Amino acid sequence: MDLISHIKNLLLGLGIAGKHLGRHAITIQYPEQRYDIPEGSRGIVVLLSDKETGELNCTACELCMRACPTAAIRIDSHRDENKRKVLDQFIVDNALCCFCGLCEEACNFSALKMATKYEFSTLDKDDLTWDVKKLQEVGLDVDYVDTRKKKKPKPAKPVSDKQASTEPAAPAKDNTETAAEEKPPVADETVADKPADTATEAADTPVAEPQPQPATDVTTPTEPTEEKPPPSPEAPTETPVEKAIPKTEDKKEGDQTDASA
Amino acid sequence: MAELRTEEFLVNMGPHHPSTHGVCRLILTMDGEKVVAIEPVIGYLHRAIEKICENRTYPQCTPLMDRFEYVTAMATEHVYALAVEKLAGLEVPERAEYLRVIMVELNRIASHLIFWGVTAMDVGAYTPFLYGLREREDIMDLFEITCGQRLTYNYIRIGGVSKDIPPEFVPKCREFVKMMWSKFSDYEGLLNGNPIFLGRMKDIGVLTPEAAIAYGASGPVLRASGVKYDVRRNDPYSVYDKFDFEIPTQPNGDCYDRFIQRLDEMKESLKIIEQALDNLPEGDIKCKVKPKLKPPEGEVYSRIESARGEMGVYIRSDGTTKPMRVKLRGSSYNHLMLVPEISTDVLIADVVAIFATLDIIMPEVDR
Repeated sequence: MDLISHIKNLLLGLGIAGKHLGRHAITIQYPEQRYDIPEGSRGIVVLLSDKETGELNCTACELCMRACPTAAIRIDSHRDENKRKVLDQFIVDNALCCFCGLCEEACNFSALKMATKYEFSTLDKDDLTWDVKKLQEVGLDVDYVDTRKKKKPKPAKPVSDKQASTEPAAPAKDNTETAAEEKPPVADETVADKPADTATEAADTPVAEPQPQPATDVTTPTEPTEEKPPPSPEAPTETPVEKAIPKTEDKKEGDQTDASA
Repeated sequence: MAELRTEEFLVNMGPHHPSTHGVCRLILTMDGEKVVAIEPVIGYLHRAIEKICENRTYPQCTPLMDRFEYVTAMATEHVYALAVEKLAGLEVPERAEYLRVIMVELNRIASHLIFWGVTAMDVGAYTPFLYGLREREDIMDLFEITCGQRLTYNYIRIGGVSKDIPPEFVPKCREFVKMMWSKFSDYEGLLNGNPIFLGRMKDIGVLTPEAAIAYGASGPVLRASGVKYDVRRNDPYSVYDKFDFEIPTQPNGDCYDRFIQRLDEMKESLKIIEQALDNLPEGDIKCKVKPKLKPPEGEVYSRIESARGEMGVYIRSDGTTKPMRVKLRGSSYNHLMLVPEISTDVLIADVVAIFATLDIIMPEVDR
């Protein structure tokens, strides 16, 4: 009796497995076939450029840098003669990135996005540290919704809005203080500049405006350094990769001491 | 001729052993074929998550929670979010709570599917592993269209969820639930009556209800021993008091019962998902949370029912943006301590079955 039920159960299991014999395999043969990545999937961080002008949307506000839990983002900027922030270098260490998407959410300027790209394996770990040139290049064909506030008759209003929404997003104490110092000049800038600066396309991105020179002349990476040596002591040198790692660590240590204080 | 002498000897199992689900070392004291004593050695996966949390702001801790118990990462995020919300006094929108419940229950099914496949594989049946992961893949797809990630979701945030579900989610989820209901006849027919499987699982590693309670076991392990205890029902959190579901229990508490228990729980999770999809309210998905969240001074403990048992987070706040102390409670730790208790007088092969059916994952033990 027991034996019969055992045999019956064995055959039942075999039958269920046998049902799959004639079916197609659901496995995807990767390099030839590719999985269809849905929109919104979080892959590599890329920098987005303006759809019309091709300039980077980034305003070097460093919100993403402060939101990043692993300190994978490093931003170098300096102020030009009009006291605007100019982005010198934007470094993402993909080896540190945990793909949480907090930087994307912190950004108010549609400046960076986690694209649906995922193939960036390399034999050299240093190749995982991407600089602004590489990040922009990879992000060129990435589609995005521009959420930046467009030009308005009264620029003072949106700027103060933006300030109110962005400033508290700063997670670390020491950083906020610097943000508080830095923000007002930028805001005043926008107000003062707007009427004269008719050529600018978006009201909220005046600081990104001086970017085209380093961004478009990407063929020579050393050019930004040569162009403006006095205001940017940390401007990218020939080897931005080497500089990136100690820099991020410094930042992290600063955060930790702040916490214990 | 010299007198024959017998003595106990040690067998080292792990840290890298296919059946230890991570890196766990078991030192087995053997008397011939029989296991006399087991000493688990833990700490190989220690990443100091609790300590790292002290250097992160509250929102920045959520990605770390994904790494605490990554097989049910949604549940880990949920318990952390509940704790911080309780601490900061945040009122979460109802739609967000429903979305959380759907995601956590989907994740529970995914976790049990892995359990089902891996346990069968550990005792020698390879087919369930393939079937289980095939169905889990559909859940991962659902997660990916929702939050953009397949394993470390970072979806359940303090105050709500990160994104609303896309329009195609509800039909796809209903399709999955329907498909899943049709799979149980296959799952049950494949192994549940298989004589070889029964021989490996029946009356092996019997856990009495008394021992289970004494060791702080929870979740499916506790319920398989006949104790009807579920945090979702006994201490309702989120919106679980609005759903109608059973708490299945098993009579014997052996490996086989723990195996069947997970299959039964998947059905209850499906029922919850169906009800949540039917009653999904409209509205906000996140309450207003200050970007620089500073919960008031105080301490909080929140607990939920994860796929493995009771999972808890204790947070002590000193009023700054960073938690002063975070303590995580993972049920795998308690269940690992059960291994020496219930595997006396068994064979090494039975230890593999016991370890597998307790559904221990090492990152939850070591954190």
